[in-house]
Amino acid sequence: MSAALFGVAGYLALGVLGFLGRGWLTGALAWAVGAGALIIWAPGFSESALGPGPWGIRLIGDTVALGFWCLALVLHAAILWEERRRKGAFHPLLTLLVGTTLALVISRDLFNLYVCLELTSLLSFLLVGYEGRSASIWASLQYLILTTVGMILYLFGLGLVYGRLGTLALSEIGRLGDPVVSIGAGLLLSGAAVKGGVFLLGLWLPRAHGRAPHSVSAILSGLVVKMGIVALVRLGEAFSAGPVLVALGALTGFGGLLYALWEQDLKYFLAFSTMSQLGYVLLGFGLGAPLGGLLYALAHGLFKALLFLSAGKAIQEAGSRQIAELGGRLPWGPAMGLALGTWSIAGLPPLAGFVAKGLLCADLPPWGKWLVFALGVGTVASFSKLIPLLRPRGNGPSPTGEIPLFLALASFSFWGFFSYPLLFDPELWGQSGLCLGLGLIAFLLARRAHPRLPGLTLDRALLSLILASVGIVLGLLAL
Amino acid sequence: MVLAVLLAGLGLFTLIVRRELIFKLLALNVASGGASLFLVAMARRAGPGVPILGLEPPPAADPLPQALVLTAIVIHFATLALALVYVIFLTEHRHSQDVRRLEKEEE
Repeated sequence: MSAALFGVAGYLALGVLGFLGRGWLTGALAWAVGAGALIIWAPGFSESALGPGPWGIRLIGDTVALGFWCLALVLHAAILWEERRRKGAFHPLLTLLVGTTLALVISRDLFNLYVCLELTSLLSFLLVGYEGRSASIWASLQYLILTTVGMILYLFGLGLVYGRLGTLALSEIGRLGDPVVSIGAGLLLSGAAVKGGVFLLGLWLPRAHGRAPHSVSAILSGLVVKMGIVALVRLGEAFSAGPVLVALGALTGFGGLLYALWEQDLKYFLAFSTMSQLGYVLLGFGLGAPLGGLLYALAHGLFKALLFLSAGKAIQEAGSRQIAELGGRLPWGPAMGLALGTWSIAGLPPLAGFVAKGLLCADLPPWGKWLVFALGVGTVASFSKLIPLLRPRGNGPSPTGEIPLFLALASFSFWGFFSYPLLFDPELWGQSGLCLGLGLIAFLLARRAHPRLPGLTLDRALLSLILASVGIVLGLLAL
Repeated sequence: MVLAVLLAGLGLFTLIVRRELIFKLLALNVASGGASLFLVAMARRAGPGVPILGLEPPPAADPLPQALVLTAIVIHFATLALALVYVIFLTEHRHSQDVRRLEKEEE
């Protein structure tokens, strides 16, 4: 435990130190400290308290924490390399952000979760608006307002649960059936869901991820939204609220997909797809396949960061954000990144998406498999839009930040096939082929329709947030 | 406790109803004040003591939520300060605080 704490403290201290100057260097040092700490504590540690008595902050080093530490370090390495020329407060802010996520995944305490969630949000607001364009400032302000509302709900839930149970440690709570605790748990789950960008609750996600600087979008989509999901999963586990996680997963999976299918702006499209991909993770954790859910979260973090980085370069090269105008105008670097990411996200063998989806499906009940299959078909259908982009033309900047992500994706896939021979099952390969075929057909059908989906304005997002949290509370009361 | 819930409800209601950004932020601040008040009210226990170790014998109010509220207030303050900076920026660059006009320009 002390190694993990040392890693977090080192990260945060070096992040603060970076504001004095040489931000990149302190960021790289922090990365080294974090990696060293990870190697030392990697066997994991059981739940232990920091501080005396019943008020000690509970920490745990389980598989979830371990996986997210690896993901955070890989993504930080990629961004460090990608943005190595950027000066100013960018790298210190990024280092602090990664440090808080490291702290968040090991904490098993309601209030510590709150503090870490708020810190990640604050740092992400700053990073989204970092370049000072008014569109991204506006996106960041919406993000801020919606997240703050979510965190107010969380605080109310915290008060209710603490008042009734007298403890903040997640391992000691969990008495549903008592209506007060149920209401509190509902409010806590809603707060975490807002942070996690779940459809209807976290409708800030498309704007904030679409308007942020490219490398920031990569880390937000790859890592920071997952923090809300981690909080949601930890809370769901503590209150044994699996069905709520499943409902939220299905909601965000299909809701995000609906918007992703017809979105024409490349970065907004990727953001909506993030929203929909979180559905797999929640389904996995809610239906008792935590390993599959975790692996999907990690794989998604890797390939979505790759997609965002490549998309950012593509947009810079071609000078347009519209998918239709980008076709055939990309240099080979971004085109290859987009191709690898699309291949992965579609769940085609042998890349990480396939590994994660295969292991997720192995533990799900039959109807859960059908849900995942339907989501997969939808994902293929929405990503088929990108096929014209994959035709490279001419030379351009060679890939930089993508390289760690390529390596991580490849090693993830290799590790998966090496440790789980069930992935060689021809039935799984056939399923992914079928998924691809059906997805392409769905794409051709969907192209003919032009539905007018309601725009996601701030007021609508606020209203849907409050209604959805009332829904979650009612659902938990009924449970 | 009732007051806290009322405050938060009022804040959230205003947040949805008003169109000007600055009113939205004020509403947000009222609502987060409600949340803090709720935590403090939760900590109230019958008894005259103040929760300082060695000063008075228990029963005293529960000190833990009060410590939490201090942290929460600091976080709310930081968030609000950042939000105000953003609103000033938007007002200078877009010459508008009306949410609907800002959304329309976005299209």
